[in-house]
Formats: sequence, structure tokens, C-alpha cells
Amino acid sequence: MTTRRQVLGYASALAATAPAGEALAQAVSSSHSNFAQSGLVGHLESATEATAIPASFKEAPMLAELVKQGKLPPVHERLPVEPLVLKPLDAIGRYGGTWRRGFIGPSDGENGNRINASDKLLLWDATGSKIIPNVAKGWDMSKDGKTFTLFLRKGMKWSDGHPYTADDFAFWYEDIYSNRDIVPTPIPDMSPQAKPGRLVKIDETTVQFQFDVPYYLFLDMMAGDTLIGGGQSVQQSIGNCGGAYSPGHYLKQFLPKYSSEAAVNKLAREQGYDNWGRLLAFKKDWELNPELPTLGGWHTVKPINTPTWTMVRNPYFYMVDTAGNQLPYIDNIVMTLAESLEVVNLRAMAGEYDMQERHIDLQKLPIILDNRDRGNYDVHLDLAYNGADTAIQINLSYKDDPEIAKWLHTADFRRALSLGIDRDQMNQTFWLGLGTPGSAVPAEVMPQNPGKEWRTKWSTHDPAQANKMLDALGLTKKDADGYRLRTDNGKRLVLQVEAVAAMLDYPRQMEMVAQQWRKIGIYGDVKQMERGLAFQRIAANQDQINVWTNGGTELMYLFPRHCLPVDPTEAHLGVEIAKWYSSGGKQGMAPTDPELKRALELFRSAAGQQEDERNKTAQEIWKIIVDQQYSIGTVGQSPAQFGVRLVSRKLGNIPSRACIAQHCRTPETSRPETWFFKA
Amino acid sequence: MRLPFTRRKPAPSKAERYATATQLQLTWWRFCRHRLAVVSLIVLLLAYTAAIMADFLATTDPHQTNAATSYIEPQAIHWFDNGGFHPFVYGLKGARDMRTFKLSYKVDTSRKVYLDLFAHNYDYSLFGFRTDIHLFGLRNANRNDGIYILGTDQLGRDLWSRLAVATRVSLFIGLVGVSISLFLGVILGGVSAIYGGWIDILVQRMIEVVRSMPTIPLWLGLSAAMPSSWSVTQVYLAITIIISLLSWTDLARTVRGKFLSLREEDFVLAAELAGASQARIIFFHMLPSFTSHIIAAVSLALPAMIISETSLSFLGLGLRPPAISWGVLLQDAQNVQTLVLAPWLLTVAVPVIIVILAFNFLGDGLRDAADPYG
Repeated sequence: MTTRRQVLGYASALAATAPAGEALAQAVSSSHSNFAQSGLVGHLESATEATAIPASFKEAPMLAELVKQGKLPPVHERLPVEPLVLKPLDAIGRYGGTWRRGFIGPSDGENGNRINASDKLLLWDATGSKIIPNVAKGWDMSKDGKTFTLFLRKGMKWSDGHPYTADDFAFWYEDIYSNRDIVPTPIPDMSPQAKPGRLVKIDETTVQFQFDVPYYLFLDMMAGDTLIGGGQSVQQSIGNCGGAYSPGHYLKQFLPKYSSEAAVNKLAREQGYDNWGRLLAFKKDWELNPELPTLGGWHTVKPINTPTWTMVRNPYFYMVDTAGNQLPYIDNIVMTLAESLEVVNLRAMAGEYDMQERHIDLQKLPIILDNRDRGNYDVHLDLAYNGADTAIQINLSYKDDPEIAKWLHTADFRRALSLGIDRDQMNQTFWLGLGTPGSAVPAEVMPQNPGKEWRTKWSTHDPAQANKMLDALGLTKKDADGYRLRTDNGKRLVLQVEAVAAMLDYPRQMEMVAQQWRKIGIYGDVKQMERGLAFQRIAANQDQINVWTNGGTELMYLFPRHCLPVDPTEAHLGVEIAKWYSSGGKQGMAPTDPELKRALELFRSAAGQQEDERNKTAQEIWKIIVDQQYSIGTVGQSPAQFGVRLVSRKLGNIPSRACIAQHCRTPETSRPETWFFKA
Repeated sequence: MRLPFTRRKPAPSKAERYATATQLQLTWWRFCRHRLAVVSLIVLLLAYTAAIMADFLATTDPHQTNAATSYIEPQAIHWFDNGGFHPFVYGLKGARDMRTFKLSYKVDTSRKVYLDLFAHNYDYSLFGFRTDIHLFGLRNANRNDGIYILGTDQLGRDLWSRLAVATRVSLFIGLVGVSISLFLGVILGGVSAIYGGWIDILVQRMIEVVRSMPTIPLWLGLSAAMPSSWSVTQVYLAITIIISLLSWTDLARTVRGKFLSLREEDFVLAAELAGASQARIIFFHMLPSFTSHIIAAVSLALPAMIISETSLSFLGLGLRPPAISWGVLLQDAQNVQTLVLAPWLLTVAVPVIIVILAFNFLGDGLRDAADPYG
């Protein structure tokens, strides 16, 4: 058994080698000059872990009442022997209250998943640069990078009171993950260099991941928003089966292994599902199934497919504050369904939400600021580290129209498209001048940034150069309106650009880009599309160009789908190539572009590299992406996504700046469990 | 003996004029008595002229975006300078307040930008000729100068120019749509009345089915069925057809009713007895006697058509940017920042209201005039 001191020793030793490391810490101190005047950008901060376990524990009045009635064991029995002790940011909070928030429907599950990301095994600190304990109290990585040991909290329990132990990992690994009916192919996170790893139970509170090849990246993977490390809430909602652990005591009843296929199918049909697979998909989804045992701070009582997605505190939650109060402070979360993003914003401005950063429109910032006193809220601007809030993603495996495919797969054509974009104009119009124009590379302070010159490489506004390049490619003939003609049938060369009206106002942004492309004779036909349809077309390899954020690419290995075609679940840059990559060449289409091939090979080699080397590899990959303009960056490093934070003045322990990044599971790194309603 | 004819013939009395006037004259006289209809007719003629000349009236390219001119409020034109008639606008200086994040423009009174008639600007084609002459434009303009009579939108596009082009699209979508439904209405209504029997029943039930369908969900379905690869023009045409496919029913009913009542008239019987063919009876005897009714019905159907397009596009189901129509412009104004920061974008509603009202008054006048004896 490891002592607590040893565990903390591991933690600090690892902090030194944590990926984003010192570079990101510097970013915290250097403030963005544009924002300095506004006073809306604070510094990255959050509740921190305390070492001393309080001598006694207290609980919320609503739980004390249940204990008195004998419906719940006393608080010290519900907490782990070693709870996670958080020192709240400003003050010990008081219990109670309902956090009102907005969501936009069943597709908005991430809204709740992220608040409950306390169910992740490991997390990042407030700066997003250091891995810290969460569900797991510590970890160990072997020198050869092949074995990773996680230490769990003794006596920790699921939200239904059942013990949470290494058996839940073993159940996930053996009965969920290894069941090919549920998870058809091994996930890449568990299969470095296509060699499947194993999960082994060492004792009640110790589990080990074992790999045949060095996999130094795995620790980051466990802390990141990945299939293995994302946590139960996100990874076991519809469609996904990652997350590394699962409540076996509850889910066993739905698996054929523990009764028979006929029995579980019968059970499924009784409850209105076609087969046991469908039933399991529903039962393991915390957003839909209020019965499901979870680990997060709040669990669902009214599911996401109702107009008010309601959550209530988890009586067995594993965190306490330094005074011994079991967290969270806030009793309930009620998310009200908003018909549109406009409604979310209006309600937020009317003070109808207590804390909302999701779906807030940066373009409304002037009015949001005007209404601060009326709505009784404060506004914080949190800046992102990814290079492009709007990235123009080229489908590198497109083939439906050979002529268009030929051009999309020509580097100079893509470079010309990029040079044809006036990013300053976009920044002024859609980002209120507060973003950073340039290529898709992450912020200069990030360890994977390849260098300053790559921000502007092929990413300035130079229509003359773009025209020259297009002429040199042989696209010299133009029609009466000045648009270039196809070389095969002499008709106008039309590029279809699919823009979803979600997150940012992509359709209107692209309308502006299409106007700018007019000057280089390129006709961009901008299609406004519903999100589901657009992603379906991407998955079917039908799109030519699509527009989306490149959020998550600030730490490329943890969330690569927005900068490289490696993940078929959301392959903006070419689903066929992503299939080829993830299947190890068995499916999909091999890339013919040698540079793309090189980028993918570099990416594959990175998992077995130590941190410094790995970051150098990432820089190399970024150089290829920018030089080839697979992903055309426009404007980024702004608060446009999750970065305009409206917080009720009644709430306490709110950080002045939150790290908004995919791997941080914003707002989890701000520790919503420690927020409270002041008297 | 008869006296030589010495007296001048007296001017015919009102009653005499009435008695001798043709049907068309009577209709016109009756129409002129409806003052509102006359005014409306003039308004509509002007509107359609403006629509045809949209690009000529526009002062800048309606698609031209410019971040430096985002959300400029309507700008006044100063007409006199140095004691003479020299229209000009002042230059503007824009800056963003980094505390409130609002863009604000200051009038730079030291810089006057003069207006010219028939100025050169962007290329367009008018009646098949390519030209770059516009009604008016700026003489000594900098990059960000413009005549922002109605202000600019978020992308810095001149609303006046956009409105001109939108008027063309919206007014003609109405005309095209009505032509299609007129065609369908006259054919199906006529066939229904003339042949009667099961054809009549079939057509009438079909009309009832079409009329019973709730329009918004139907539009939703139909516009969702449009392939996403269609170009703006194809969508435009499809929208027109969708709208007219739903609105021919009124006309068909009117036509059928008229046919039925006229069939019993003496002059039709007379023509039949005189051996006229059925086609001749329909096209030379019956149709002319109720064209005026059709015109009235059409003038009442047009505004419905225009409103349909506008509301469809407003809901995001009809035309989509980069197409410009009234509905598209109104959709642009469909957010809270417009209401607070750029309320002038709502002025698009004014021409919609004026044109719709004018069509309704005109239709009213025409309906009265169609029956001058009434």
C-alpha cells in the first residue's frame, strides 16, 4: 500500500514533466494587451488541493435530514477514507441553492458532462498545464513508459452508496471494453502502435495499465478529454464506451454474460428497446438514466430530454473542503431548455442564469456589459489557447467531383485560398477586434507552437500573390463575373463551403470570406447547415470544405481531430484518411500526399516519445499543417467559445479567469463543487 | 323645311358619356374614384421601377463587406456648401471603445466627401448591358467612405444598396410566383368548370386538400427537401414554385365560379347558337369578361406571395445569404445586438409594409373597378 506522502511525491515529480509545463504558466502572467483596459481578464486560479484531511466532516442540511430519517448513512461513512480535500479559492462556502443554467437540447449533453467532470481519473490544475489528482489520488509511471499505476481512494463510493473499487475498472475492461458487441474495435487510446494494452487489477484500490511499447503520452491521455480519460459522464453517454471504469454492480443485470442473451433481450423488449445493446446504451447514459450510479458532484434526477434537465447533489461525493464540509456546496442544478442561442443570451442578460459561459455570444458583449447591473452579474473574459476559433477545414479525402478534389488536394490552391482571406477584417467584425488573426497553430506560449513565423506563414492577406499562384496552376480562364473556370468543362469553379450555425456565426463569417475570395476569382458557395446534417456529410466523405473551431489542438495529442485526419468520429480533414489511419491501413483511403503521410507518421510516433521530444514532434507536425494549409486558420485565441462568462454576483469562489481548453473540461478546472451562494 | 344645322352640338352629358363609354373606360373611371388605389398604383409603379433599376440606385456593391464600416448609423446628406448646391457627406472616424467594446463613429467635419450624379462604381448588367454607372456616388472618397443613407449592417454593407437589390428579389419573386399560380389557377379552375363531373370533383377536392394543409410545417418539409447543393438561384426558383403551388387554389376557385356564372349568360348562349367553337367561346367571349376579376384577384394574391417569401426567409427556410431579399435582411436584424446597437436595420420593414398595403389598396380599387356598373 502506498502512503499518502508517496502519492504526493509522484504527483510533484510528474508536475515537472507535465506537458504544457512552464510555458503555459508564463501565459498566465502575460496579459493580452487588447483586453487590459477592459479589466475583464483576470488571472488563472482555482481551488487547490490541501494535504491535511480534516478531523471531522459536515454535510449539507438536505442530507443531514435524510441521515436523521435513517435513509442515508452518516457523512463519515459516505466519504472515502482519503477524500479529495480542496482549499476553496476565497472562502469556506455555505450549503444550499439552485444553480440556474441554460441548455439547448439533448444534443447539449456536454453542458452537464463538463460540470461533472469531477468523475475524471486525473485532471489539470487552474493553468491547464499540470496534471493533478482527481478520482485517482495518485499515479505512477514506470521508467520505460510501459506501465501506469493508478491509486484509488479507499472507501470511495458510487452515488448509490456501493463501493467504488478496482473491480469497477476490471468490469469496464473485461465486460464493456473487451466486449466486441459493445465496443467493435479497440480504441486507439488503449492501443499504442496498434498493440492493445491491458488493464489489470492489482488490489482493491490499485489498477495498472500495461502496454507492450513505450507510451509516455498515456498519462496525458488519462488527464485529457480522451476516450480513456474523459470520465464516465461523457464517455458513457450515447455512443461512447470509454472512460476506464463502469458501475458493474448496476450494469451487470443488462449484460448477457451474467444471465443469458435471451434473458437480457427479453428485459430490453419489456422496457421498449429492440435488444440488450440498445437498453445498455440507455442505461449507461447518466444524462438519460437517473438510476445510473455516478461519481460526479451532481447526478441527474430529470433527464436531458425534458425541458428542465435537473441534477441534485451526490450524497457520496468524494470531495470535502478544508473545514471538512462535504462538497458540493450547491444543492441542485436546473438547466432550462432554450429554443435558440438567442434565447440563452437574452435569459443570461436578464439574470435568469447564475453562471453561464456556454452558448454566450461574444458579439453581444457590449450589451452583456450594459446589462451587468440589471441582471446582477459579473462578466469575465477567458482567453483560449487554440489558434483558430474558425478553421476552414479541407476534406483531404474528397473525391466525388474529381476536378474539385484535384484542386483541394493541391497545396498551392489551398495556400491561395488562405492568402485570399482578410483576417483583420474578420477579427474586427466578428471578434470585436479581440482575437488573434493568423494560421491554425496554438498560442505562442504553448509548448507545441512551432515558432512565431508560423502564425503568419501563408496566413496574411495577399490577394495579388494568391492570384499569381492560381494563375500558375492553370486556372487562368474567368467568366464575365471574374470567377475562375473549371479546367474540365469550362463551367465556373464552385467550392462548396459547409457552415453550421452553432458555436460561432460560421455562416456569416464564411459569407465574408466568400466575398474576399471573389477578389482571387474563387467562388465559394456558402451553405448554412444544421449541425447534424453537416457532420453526417463529413462522416460520409461528401463535404468539400467545412468550417469549425480547432479547439483542443492546443495540446494536439489529446484532441487531434481538428488538426489532423486521425479520428473517424469527427474527421473534418477527411474521413477516409482518418479511417485509414485509425485502422492501421485496413480501411479507408491511404493519403497520397507525401507531406500528409509524413505528418501522420510523426503523429503516430509521438505516443512513445518523452515529453520534450513529443512536443518537438508536434511542432514539426504544425509546420506541415501550416505550410500545406490543410487547415486554414483565421482568428483565434479569443474568448469566443466558452470564454464570455456571466456569473451572478451572488456566487462565491469564482475564479477571475478560467482556463478554457478542451483538456481542462471547462468549467471543471474551476471546481464548480466549491462555488456557493453567498447569503 | 328644315333649318340648316346651325347650333353646335352640346357637350355630352355625364349620363351620355357613361352610356357611350367602353368597358375599359368605365373601369378606368371607376378606378380613379378610388383615390387610395390610384396613389397605391403610383407607389407600386415606382417600387417596380426601383426594383428594375436596383443596381443603378445602389451606391455601393451590396455584397461588399468592410469591417471598418460595421454598424454605421444612417448618415445625413448635406445639400449646400459654400452657398451653392453641392451635396456632400462628412467623413467618419470609427474606433472601438475597449471598455464597452462598442464601435463608435465620430463625424469628421474637416473632411467633406462630395456626391456626384451618375458616378462610376461596381459593374452590373441592366437590360443586358454591362455598365458601372450609378445614380449617385462619391467623388473624393477614401476606402471607408460611403453614402450611408440607411446605415450599414454588421458586415459593414450599405443597407440602402442592399435594400434596393432586396426589393428587386422580393417583388419579382411575387410576380413570378403569381404568374405560376395564375396559370395553374386559370387552367385548373377553367377545366373544372367547363368539364364538370368527376373532373370538377377531383379538382375541387384537391383544392380542399391543399388548402387544409398547415403551411408552415409544409414549407419546413419542402425547403428541407431541397438539396443542399443547390445554388442560390435554384433555391430562389424552388421557393417561388413552392409558394405558388400552394396559392393557386384561390384563383382556381374564382375562375371556376366566374365560368359557372358566365356559362348561363345570354351572350354565351348566343355565341353557341351562332356556331362558335368552344375554344372561341372561352377565349373570346368568356375570358375577356372576367379578366378584370382575375387582375383584382392577382393584385390581392401578390402581397400574400411577397409576405410568404419574406416570412420564409425570416425563419431561415427560404432564401439564404448571400441572396438578398427582404426576408433575408430582416433575418439579419433578428438578434438582440441589432435592436440595441443597430436599430436602423429594422427600417427594412418599412418598404415591406408600404408595398403590401399598396397592393391591398390597389386590389381593393381594382375589384371595385372590375364591376363598373355595381
